[in-house]
Amino acid sequence: MEERNWKIIKFIAVIVVVFAVLFWVRTTIRNEFSRLSRENSLELARSVASVDPDLLNEKFPEIYYYISYFDGRENENAKVSQLLKKLPDYEYGQENAMYEEFYISNQTVKFNGKEYFAIFAPIDKDYEVIGVMVQLHDAENTLKLLRTIDIMFLIVFALFIIAFAIGTFSIDPVTTYAIIITFAVALTFVVYPLYEAVKLTFARTGNFTFDVWKTVLTETSYLKSFGNSILLGALTATVSTVIGFLFAFVVTRTTIKGKKFVSLMANLPMISPPFSLTLSLILLFGSNGLITKQLLNLKWDIYGLDGLVISQTMGMFPIAYLTMLGVLESIDSTLEEASMNLGASRWKVFRTVTLPLATPGLLSSWLLVFTNSIADFANPLMLGGKFNVLSVTAYLEVTGMNRLDRGAALSLLLLLPTMTAFYLQRYIVNKKSYVTVTGKPSGRIVEIVSPGVKKMLSIVVYVIAIFLVALYSTIFMGCFVKNWGVDYSFTLSNIVEALQRGKDALLDTTILAAIAMPIAGVFAMVVAFLFVRKKFPGKKLLQGLVLLPFSIPGTLIGISYVIAFNKPPLILVGTAAIIVINYIIRELPVGVEGGVATLKQIDPSIEEAAQNLGANPQTVFSTIILPLIRPAFISSLSYTFVRAMTAVSAVVFLVSAQWYHITLQIYNFSENLRFGLASVLSSVLIIIILTVFGLLRLFVRKSEYLEKTIIS
Amino acid sequence: MKQVTLKIENISKIFKDYKGNEVRAVDNITFDIKPGEFVTLLGPSGCGKTTTLRMIAGFEKPTNGRILINDVNVVEIPPWKRDTAMVFQSYGLFPHMNVGDNVAYGLKMRKLPKEEIQRRVSEILRIVGLEGFENRPPSSLSGGQQQRIALARALVVEPSVLLFDEPLSNLDVLLREQMRVEIKRIQKEVGITAVYVTHDRTEALTLSDKIVLMKGGKIEQIGSAEDVYERPMNRFVAEFMGKINFVPVEVVEILRDETIVKLKNRTYKIPSLPTAHSDSYVLGCRPEAMRITADGPIDGKIKTIVYMGNFSEYYVDTEYGEIMIKVNPPFDKALSEGKNVKVDIVSEIVKVIPDRE
Repeated sequence: MEERNWKIIKFIAVIVVVFAVLFWVRTTIRNEFSRLSRENSLELARSVASVDPDLLNEKFPEIYYYISYFDGRENENAKVSQLLKKLPDYEYGQENAMYEEFYISNQTVKFNGKEYFAIFAPIDKDYEVIGVMVQLHDAENTLKLLRTIDIMFLIVFALFIIAFAIGTFSIDPVTTYAIIITFAVALTFVVYPLYEAVKLTFARTGNFTFDVWKTVLTETSYLKSFGNSILLGALTATVSTVIGFLFAFVVTRTTIKGKKFVSLMANLPMISPPFSLTLSLILLFGSNGLITKQLLNLKWDIYGLDGLVISQTMGMFPIAYLTMLGVLESIDSTLEEASMNLGASRWKVFRTVTLPLATPGLLSSWLLVFTNSIADFANPLMLGGKFNVLSVTAYLEVTGMNRLDRGAALSLLLLLPTMTAFYLQRYIVNKKSYVTVTGKPSGRIVEIVSPGVKKMLSIVVYVIAIFLVALYSTIFMGCFVKNWGVDYSFTLSNIVEALQRGKDALLDTTILAAIAMPIAGVFAMVVAFLFVRKKFPGKKLLQGLVLLPFSIPGTLIGISYVIAFNKPPLILVGTAAIIVINYIIRELPVGVEGGVATLKQIDPSIEEAAQNLGANPQTVFSTIILPLIRPAFISSLSYTFVRAMTAVSAVVFLVSAQWYHITLQIYNFSENLRFGLASVLSSVLIIIILTVFGLLRLFVRKSEYLEKTIIS
Repeated sequence: MKQVTLKIENISKIFKDYKGNEVRAVDNITFDIKPGEFVTLLGPSGCGKTTTLRMIAGFEKPTNGRILINDVNVVEIPPWKRDTAMVFQSYGLFPHMNVGDNVAYGLKMRKLPKEEIQRRVSEILRIVGLEGFENRPPSSLSGGQQQRIALARALVVEPSVLLFDEPLSNLDVLLREQMRVEIKRIQKEVGITAVYVTHDRTEALTLSDKIVLMKGGKIEQIGSAEDVYERPMNRFVAEFMGKINFVPVEVVEILRDETIVKLKNRTYKIPSLPTAHSDSYVLGCRPEAMRITADGPIDGKIKTIVYMGNFSEYYVDTEYGEIMIKVNPPFDKALSEGKNVKVDIVSEIVKVIPDRE
């Protein structure tokens, strides 16, 4: 116990010393600032005093003054004179002025609800002082600054006390710091912006009001957008789930040729930039598209609901595919074999065994694609045409109409379906009641489809895969075509121009993604470690907060960041930091989940053994945890990088002249019908992503650990 | 070797279960360990022995009480600053490091010079009989070898206290006996203070200088192997240390070194004192301390006979419950299942035990 008392005494002693030092620093800074501003005021006072009193009101309208001449004359501001006489150094000031000295009062004067410095200035005539002018200079800004210094001082002191208390009294300060920092990050960059966004939708000029919501919920165009989002989501989810299931079924349950090719094509859209497939769809099926116009001369074009469903499906069916692949792989083929043994026909086996077992998986992929589809911004922006969806409407409100409050309300409205679908999906996955997991997926394949059906299925799958190949080839071809839709002659000028004009954006994007990548990766692993291995109060809450951005549409994050970080205390809009923070916060959930899943498979006694041998938590983390969860770490790194390189929905609100994003450059080029340039940038982006991806995979391959694919 | 004492003073650990109810995993226990002593915490699962060990290592913080290593309270000291080393049930070897790096880990944490690390690693590998295994990955070793690596890794840092958490429970029977001998040999060779947790009474009996028998977070008895086996303080200890039958008796008189007891109308002279004082007593009779005779005081009926080759076990239903009797050949053919018999005690080798759990 004496030890503890000794610690407390030491703690208090250090706190007192630090307080004294900080107080000294604060006082010095404060004095310096107030001296500077007094000097400024004196400077101004000299020039005021040099002006003919009759012209004062005209030249310095913001300055109140009071003049008393020694011959008894006074000017009209008698009201001020009463106030001034209350100053303790009034007499002293007068005297100074009489001796040709400018004097500034130690205290401020309150006048018309504002604080002022009083400056005593001599009035000369023929080198003789004939009176004293007292000028009132605005002290509000100076006082505000001094208050801010005090607040900063208090905050620094409070932070020091907290940090020092943890360091002194916690057995494991590093872990405690990590927990507190994670909480601080979650509160600052998840809760605070959302709170600010919600607050804005209820406030107009400082008063509480339902006006914004009334408008948003009654105006037909907004409701139409909402309905469109849901419709688009439902259609895309349905089509994608069917296609994803077909792909997964063909890969796991049949023996067709070219499976590798099929599964490659079903993975590729996951990592390709958002505008790339859209772009090639426009090139092929746009109003001036190669197929619709040049080859078939149709009236139909890709813009609108039908085109959106096609482009979203191409981009999102991989989500359904990967989900269904996992589900079908874990359903033991012997179950199907057994029921076939019992005399069931192939179709019956599929209907009574395979399908019911796969149902939770189907539902979960439907909900996942649904969430992704209605949160999608890139496709509707480019292909929507007259078909407005909520994410684009919110964007246009903010950027076009400059109505942040309505934009915030609309994107909050978007949160309703995404969150519902997301948590429903979670619920289904966590129940896991149906899927029979037998441990290892059995390598043997039971053919449960007849040769005819198999042929049909493989044709469908091949057609879609080849269609994707065609889309990607179109982008590459677009790089070398002079003027798509008009002049198809070969040129290299696109490449030169695109690289010249896109160089900065490309560099910005890559730099920001490269900065976010390691931070998000390490942070995700640290957080996963805290979640799996540490007990602390508020853990459930923190888990909820960290995973929350998963279900928040990028549009809402973008808008709420603009609202929250465009004003004190944190002014970040326009900086690179806010873009990086946005990447980290948005991609953290995936990394954390991966880390948690991997960590749960690691025997805790391995870490305890390391601690026991003298390794502190940070050493345990770097020498034991990180090497062991390397697969999760690497996939978190590559996931963050890909997502940062291909971000649109949130980043569109956060870019600035200094920090631009390549996807927006692609969008701008294609909006201006410079498809060649857009194609070049898309291709370059794809190449960068594939290169980094390949490099990171090499890292994992080097070790003996299992490789993991990234799953959205 | 360091001369290290370990004192556990009034240690309690209260957990919250998932409903938020308080569970006393360890309930106010006290014991101490002399330098070089090998102490076993023995008890059924859930008795708090592992929690106690983890509190000594620093993985759990006691709710109350003090843990003194060489008279310094270590309760507020985190595991990585405590001078303890643990051998884990699941070994806890680092799968991404080879054997040499595993063993050297603790020494690297102590920032020793490279040459010394190398010297000490090969020295300890020699002691555990795994010379030349430095560059092998742990996964390529057998269970017994892995366990010895874990032991070497703990020993090489020359900790003040060596802790064992059921280190042999993952090994097969043969290997377990072998390792038991190894552990004892190595512990004596380096003369280290050790705390060993197990639920296996054979391990406890063969390894320990002192056994701390626990139940429900409390200590039931502390003593040498002989103390605990032969002089159990209560029925629980007696039962935990091996199969035993309890026959209630009346203690007539306690003399200097013998006890007069009365069972029904018969009086016996037991050549030892009651193991502890109590209001009421039972006779603790191991299966070999009972026999079927023509004039025994206890009436019973043979329920089952289990033939074991060199002896047989007779399970007899009596007024005191089922009694197990070990019978040596020659076997009486007349004693068959379902037969009514009379049972007597062999008074020379029974104990008078307090009749309490």
